Amino acid sequence: MGYAVRFEDVTKRYPRGGPRYPSLRHELAEGARRLGQRLRGERPEPRGILALDRVSFEVEEGEAFAIIGPNGAGKSTALKLVSRISYPTGGRVRVRGRVAALIEVGSGVHPELTARENIWLYGQILGMPKAEIRRRFDDIVEFAELGHVLDTPVKLYSSGMQLRLGFAIASHLDPDVFVVDEALAVGDAGFQARCVERMATLVAEGRTLIFVSHNLSAVEAICRQGLFLLDGRVKGVSGAGEALQSYLNWVDAAHLARTSEEVSLRPSRYLELLAVGCHKPNDGERYAFATGEDIEVRLRFLARRELTRPYVSIGITDGRPGTLALCSMLVDGGAPEQIVGEVEFRCLLRGVPLLPRVYQLWCSVRGEQAFGDLFDWQPVGAFRIATSPGLQGPAAMAHTATDGPVHIPHVWEVQGCP
Amino acid sequence: MGIPNVALPVSRRLELVIEGGPRPRLGQALRELWSFRHTVLAFAERDVRVKYKQTVLGVLWAVLQPLAFMVVFTVAFGRFAKVPGGGAPYPAFSLSALVPWTFLQTAVTFGANALLMDSAIIRKVYLPREVPVLGAVGAAAVDFIIGVALFVVLAPVLGARFSLAWLLVPVLGMLLALLAAAVALPLAALNVYYRDFRYALPFALQLWLFASPVVYPLSVVPAQWRGLYVVANPAAGILDAFRSVLALGTTPDVGLLAASLAGTVLLLWVGFRLFKSLEPGFADLV
Repeated sequence: MGYAVRFEDVTKRYPRGGPRYPSLRHELAEGARRLGQRLRGERPEPRGILALDRVSFEVEEGEAFAIIGPNGAGKSTALKLVSRISYPTGGRVRVRGRVAALIEVGSGVHPELTARENIWLYGQILGMPKAEIRRRFDDIVEFAELGHVLDTPVKLYSSGMQLRLGFAIASHLDPDVFVVDEALAVGDAGFQARCVERMATLVAEGRTLIFVSHNLSAVEAICRQGLFLLDGRVKGVSGAGEALQSYLNWVDAAHLARTSEEVSLRPSRYLELLAVGCHKPNDGERYAFATGEDIEVRLRFLARRELTRPYVSIGITDGRPGTLALCSMLVDGGAPEQIVGEVEFRCLLRGVPLLPRVYQLWCSVRGEQAFGDLFDWQPVGAFRIATSPGLQGPAAMAHTATDGPVHIPHVWEVQGCP
Repeated sequence: MGIPNVALPVSRRLELVIEGGPRPRLGQALRELWSFRHTVLAFAERDVRVKYKQTVLGVLWAVLQPLAFMVVFTVAFGRFAKVPGGGAPYPAFSLSALVPWTFLQTAVTFGANALLMDSAIIRKVYLPREVPVLGAVGAAAVDFIIGVALFVVLAPVLGARFSLAWLLVPVLGMLLALLAAAVALPLAALNVYYRDFRYALPFALQLWLFASPVVYPLSVVPAQWRGLYVVANPAAGILDAFRSVLALGTTPDVGLLAASLAGTVLLLWVGFRLFKSLEPGFADLV
């Protein structure tokens, strides 16, 4: 088997950063400035924004390939090069077979036209022959679940319905290489699950899929190989799982760096937080845990003076307002009579019932003799639930931030079935 | 989910190399455009449908502009300024040039803005970028056909008589469409880079109207300058030919028409080359 897509030392520099609407006047002034630099013997810095920097990788044919990385890493740029929407500044991209791109699907659907007209016209614009559209028309309508509003102008649809229509049309094209960018960013959970299913079907049919998404569980479910892009450079090409792992480690490191910065910004007169860590009980420090595992939180403080009965509280949040769980010595007791110098508090969280994503740790310390807090309530660290053994079924793959984070052990039972 | 489609084996597929640098040659670009001809029609059909959605007058808009201009021109230039109609009554004289002029104007306006209007598609779907521009010209052609039909219906009232020369109208229409594409393509490309062209366009079109024989006959241009004038402004020869055919029922001056054609082809060649050389940057800038 050969490659379907191959990047050879590809560099992409966007010609203009800055003003979105360049004017002739601006161009002339800029040209004069650069000419001046040249005359003075300086080499003008290359213009624009470097989006991809000597990127090389290969996608095998029939493979599901993920490109992951933070915003601005160059993921979408790479997809635009594959689909010939944009051209590289240096190097070359080789593509074997027909490419269909689902980049921001739905924005090309015309609002004034009905769904029926859009399927015909947008389908042709995307390069589907009329006979093919006729053959697949019912499939498209069925997939989009828009049969009841087929003759209503699309502008009267909700944005989710428009997206469904766009994805339905584009995903029924008949190309060899599919390029999907953040198609799952909108749409309800049920539709997302069907999109994931549809992509899995396409891969099963032997098509090549290149997939960009921040929905990491969908990436994990569909893709076998992955590329981790950071600041336009290849950080690694490997199995999707490993690529995800290195990306998540980067995310965690960045997250921790951010939170420790916040910690250092808010020192306390009495108590300084020296270190925070999540450990596997009686084991080394870790970021990633599985649902249901024990997590031991260790907080090392420096008490600048003798403090009587400091009550430590820790909380867990998932980035949304409110605390998911609070463990506090104010409730549980167990505060030491007196501390001074370095002390370590350990709190063992038993069988943490949280679903995969990153969680933040918050902490405060309330003292008996001081007015107010010894240590203000603030985020101090993070940990991630990486895997969840029991998850299966369609929505497990397309699981989103709108789902609840807490896992309650439960059993389903259906009565009244024949 | 329908009939499964099995992807072609790699060996039977074309390999495509995407890189910066020089653009494909003219012949290759034209072959690719030909393979996208159905897409051009799809764009044209979409533009026509969208144009008349949510309008009360519908297709009447296609004929309102030339008719209104005909009335104003007939009163102002025909009656008061006594511009000669060259053997035809002034209403027939002006409408026979106004219908093709309206086509040219609409096609150039919509064609020049096509890439901006369809920026969503430009940014996310590959197709030769001239496709939406040519689609817009095609959509304007529908209005033109309605306009010609209007002229035919109104001919007895206007003082024009049916003539076999009318059969030349489709040929002249195609020539005019070529000219519209030749002007719209470079403007559409430049519009992506500098929006200045968008604002200059209506003004430039007005100048072009009065620089072309619409309100006055071509015969006001001295005979020795006429050939050069028609090469420089190909619209002049084509509009004059429309007038000879529709209003006077005579065959057009073949020499002048050939000069117009030469000017059009030259413009089209330059315009298409410019378009193709600017094309790689469209998606990054639009």
